[in-house]
Amino acid sequence: MNFFVVEVLIGGLLTGVLYALVALGFVLIFKASAVFNFAQGSMCLFAALALVRLMEVMPLPLALLAAAAIMIGLAFAIERLVLRPLVNQAAIILFMATIGITFFLDGFGQSLFGSKVYTLDLGIPKNPLILFESIIPGGILVNEFDLWAAVAAGLLVAVLAVFFQRTRIGRALRAVADDHQAAQSVGIPLRHIWVIVWSVAGLVALVAGIIWGSKLGVQFSIALVALKALPVLMLGGLTSVPGAIVGGLIVGAGEKLSEVFLGPFLGGGIENWFAYVLALLFLLARPQGLFGERIIERV
Amino acid sequence: MKQIGEPILTADRITLAFGGITALNAISIGIRQHEILAMIGPNGAGKTSMLNVINGFYHPQAGTITWKGETRRRVRPYHAAAQGIARTFQNVALFKGMTTLDNIMTGRLLQMRRNFLWQAIHFGPAEQEELAHRARVERIIDFLEIQAIRKTPVGRLPYGLQKRVELGRALAMEPELLLLDEPMAGMNVEEKEDMCRLILDINDEFGTTIALIEHDMGVVMDISDRVVVLDYGRKIADGPPEEVRVSPDVIAAYLGEER
Amino acid sequence: MIYREAGQFRTSYAADQAVFPVLQDRVFVWAIALFAFVVVPFAASEYLLRAILVPFLILAIAAIGLNLLVGYCGQISLGSAAFMAVGAYVSYDVTVHLPWLNLLLVFLIGGLCAAAAGVVFGLPSLRIKGYYLAVATLAAQFFFDWLFIRVPWFTNYASSGSVSAPPLRIFGLSFESPAGRYLLCLGLLTVAALVAKNLVRGRMGRIWMATRDMDIAAEIIGIRPLHAKLSAFAISSFIIGISGALWAFVHLGSWEPLAFSIDRSFALLFMVVIGGLGSILGCFFGAAFITIVPIFLNQVPAALGIPLSTAMVSHLEFMTFGALIVFFLIVEPNGLARLWAIGREKLRLWPFPH
Repeated sequence: MNFFVVEVLIGGLLTGVLYALVALGFVLIFKASAVFNFAQGSMCLFAALALVRLMEVMPLPLALLAAAAIMIGLAFAIERLVLRPLVNQAAIILFMATIGITFFLDGFGQSLFGSKVYTLDLGIPKNPLILFESIIPGGILVNEFDLWAAVAAGLLVAVLAVFFQRTRIGRALRAVADDHQAAQSVGIPLRHIWVIVWSVAGLVALVAGIIWGSKLGVQFSIALVALKALPVLMLGGLTSVPGAIVGGLIVGAGEKLSEVFLGPFLGGGIENWFAYVLALLFLLARPQGLFGERIIERV
Repeated sequence: MKQIGEPILTADRITLAFGGITALNAISIGIRQHEILAMIGPNGAGKTSMLNVINGFYHPQAGTITWKGETRRRVRPYHAAAQGIARTFQNVALFKGMTTLDNIMTGRLLQMRRNFLWQAIHFGPAEQEELAHRARVERIIDFLEIQAIRKTPVGRLPYGLQKRVELGRALAMEPELLLLDEPMAGMNVEEKEDMCRLILDINDEFGTTIALIEHDMGVVMDISDRVVVLDYGRKIADGPPEEVRVSPDVIAAYLGEER
Repeated sequence: MIYREAGQFRTSYAADQAVFPVLQDRVFVWAIALFAFVVVPFAASEYLLRAILVPFLILAIAAIGLNLLVGYCGQISLGSAAFMAVGAYVSYDVTVHLPWLNLLLVFLIGGLCAAAAGVVFGLPSLRIKGYYLAVATLAAQFFFDWLFIRVPWFTNYASSGSVSAPPLRIFGLSFESPAGRYLLCLGLLTVAALVAKNLVRGRMGRIWMATRDMDIAAEIIGIRPLHAKLSAFAISSFIIGISGALWAFVHLGSWEPLAFSIDRSFALLFMVVIGGLGSILGCFFGAAFITIVPIFLNQVPAALGIPLSTAMVSHLEFMTFGALIVFFLIVEPNGLARLWAIGREKLRLWPFPH
C-alpha cells in the first residue's frame, strides 16, 4: 500500500472540510430563501478583513464579537436594500444581484479595511504532526491546524443540521425556501427569516474566513475560494447540509489525488477544473446532486 | 351525419403505478375515428393519467397503445406529437413569455421545414414558409374568435381566453386525435356553451377525433358520442351517454350505495 | 406629435411581421445606420474609435450571442468567455498555419470551433437544469483557461504565453487604422444582429422560447429538447467565438489567456441581463453600459479633483459597479430595453399626458 496516497488523501479530505464550510453558507441561504448567493466568498473575505483590523485595536474575544456584529449588520443591509426590492423576481435576477453584491463587498471591504495581505493568528498551533505511527511505518504527516479546522467545521455543521431539522425556526426557513407567498400566508415573517438566515450565513462566512485567513493570510484570493465551493454544491446538492460535507470531502480528496496522479500526464495545474468536471460527471448521474431535492416538474 | 369509423387508437390493458398507488389498472379503451369520446369519473380516477400515457408523458408498466396500426408501450411526447396527437392541459400549459399569435404559431413547428440557415437570411424560402403558416394560423384565430388578443402576451390573458389559445395551439398541429383535459374548467355557462360549440365545430369541420375529460354532466351528455367512466383506475362503464347515465355501477360510484 | 402611428395600416402579414413596423422607427434606424457607417469613421477621434467604439461593437456581438442562449433559450451560461477564447486561439492558429487564408474565413473557422466546444459543454443541459447547469458551464471556463496556458501548441510555443495577431488585411484592403477597425466590427455587428433577429422571429426563435418557458410542454408540440438546447448552444457559441476572435485580433492586438478569464464571462452576462434578456436591442444597451461605465467611473475622481491612489480608485469602481448593477436590477429587472420600450410608449402620447 502506498502510504503517500493515504497522506495525500487525508490532506485532501481536510481541505475538503474547509471547502464544505464555505459551501455551507451557500446551502443555508439557498435552503431558506432560494437565492444562490454568489457573494458568499466575498462575505468570507469581508468578515476576515473586519476581524483582522479589529484585532489590531481590541482583544480577540471582543474582536470576534464585533466582527460577528458587523456580519449581522451586513445581513440587515442586504435584506433591506437588495432582497426586499427584488422579492418576487426571477431566479436569474436575484443571482445577478448577488454578483453585484460581490463586486460591492470586494470594493467596500478593501477600501474600508485596506488591501494588504494581513496575517491572522488566532493562536491555533500549526505544527506538523505525525499520526498513526503505530499502524503505519513512518506515520502520516498532517498539519495540526488542519485538524482543528476540520473539528470546528464539523461541529458547526452538526449544530446547523440540528437547527434546520428540529427547531421551529428551521421549519419556517424551509417553508420560505419552498414558496414565499405561501409562507407569508401562514404568517411567517419573511423579512425576519431572511435577516436570520443571512446573519447565520454571515457568521459561517466569518468562521470560514478565519480558517482560510489563517491558512493563506487574509487577502483577496479568499474571495475566490467561493469558486472552489461551487463544485461542492453541485456534487452534494444545493439544498443539503450533509451534502455540502460529503461533497466537500469528495472534491477535496479528488482534487489532491488528481493533481498528484493525473497531473504529471496532463501538464499540471488541473486542480482548477478537475473539481468541476468531477462534479459534472456526478451530476449527469444524479441531476440534483447526491443529496439534493429532486426537482419535480409537472405540467 | 358524420361517419364514426374504426378505432384509431386502442389502449390495451394499460397498467400504471406510482410507488404503491395504482393509477390505472389494466384499462382497455378504444377511440374510434371521428368520434367524440368523453372520459368521466371522480377525482383521482386516473383520467389525466390515461391521457398522459397516450401522450407519452407517463410510461405504463404494462399494456400497449396501438395508434394507427402501430403498437408501442412507451413513446416520447414529441413522437406522439409528430404522429398526430395533440393535447391541452388542465393547468394551461402555454408559453407565458410569448404572444397569442406566437403560441399558436408554435403549433405549426412540426410542419416547418426550412432549416436555420434559410432562416438566418429570412428573405426567400424561410419568409414564404413563415407567411404561409401565418395565414393558416390566422384562420384558426378567426375560427376561435380571438383576433383582438393576437399580440397580447398570454400571461396577461384571463383564464378562459388562455384555454382558447391553448386549443388554438393544439389545432394548429392539424392533429388526428385531440386530447382535451377539462377544457371547460373554471368557465361560466356562456363560456361553456362557446367551448362546446367550438369542439363540435372542430369535430365537424376538420373531422378530428376528440377525447375529452370533463366533469360537467350536461356537457358530456350533450356533445359526446361515447362515454367512458373510470373509478379508482378501473373502467366501470363504456357506451353511449344514455346507457352510461343509467348504469348501476356508475351511479354507485358517483352517488354511493345505500347501506 | 412626431411619433404617431395614425394612418399607417399594415395590409399584409409580411408588413405586420417586419422588424420595424412603424415608419418612424424605420427612418430612425436607417438614419442611425447611415450615421454610423458614413459619418462616424471620419468625424470621431482616434481615441473614441479605438478605446470606446470598437470594444463596444465587439462586446455587442458577444452579447447578441449570449442573449440567444440565456435570454431566448433560457440556459444560463457562466463560461461564455471560454468560447471567446476558443474563437480567438483557433483563429490565431489558423493564421499561423494557413497564413494565406482570407481573414473572414479564419474568423468563420474560429466560430465553428467555438460552436463545437459549445455543443460539447452544452450537452449536460439535457440532464441538468437551473443553477446546477450554471455552475456546470463554469467547467468550460476553467478547462479552457487551463488548456490555453498549458498546451503550448495553441500559443505556437511562445515562451511568454502571449500571442500577437497578424495584420488585418481582407481582400487586399488594410483595416489597421482606427476607422478601418471600426468599420470591420460595425459590418460584422450588422450581420450578426440581422442574423440573430431573423432567427429569433422565426422557427428557431419559437423553438428556443418554448424551451425556455416550459420545456416539458414544449415536447407536446413536437420540439425535441436535444435539438432545441444544442442548437442554442451551437449558434450562440459560434457568434461568441467570432466576437472573441475580433476582440483578440482587432481590439487587443496581442493577448494572453487571462484576457478571457471569468471576469469577462461575468461582464458578458451583465450586458445581457442589464440590457434585457430576450431582446436584441437590449444587447446594444448592455454593451454600451459595460463599455462606458468603467471609463466614466475612472474619470470621476480626477474630474472632482479628489486625489486617490489607483488601488482606491479601483476599489471604488468595483463598489459603484456592483451598486449600479443592483440598482438597475431593482428599477427594471427586464433591462434597459424595457425602459426604452416604456419611453417609446410615452413618446407616442407626447405631448399629451394620456
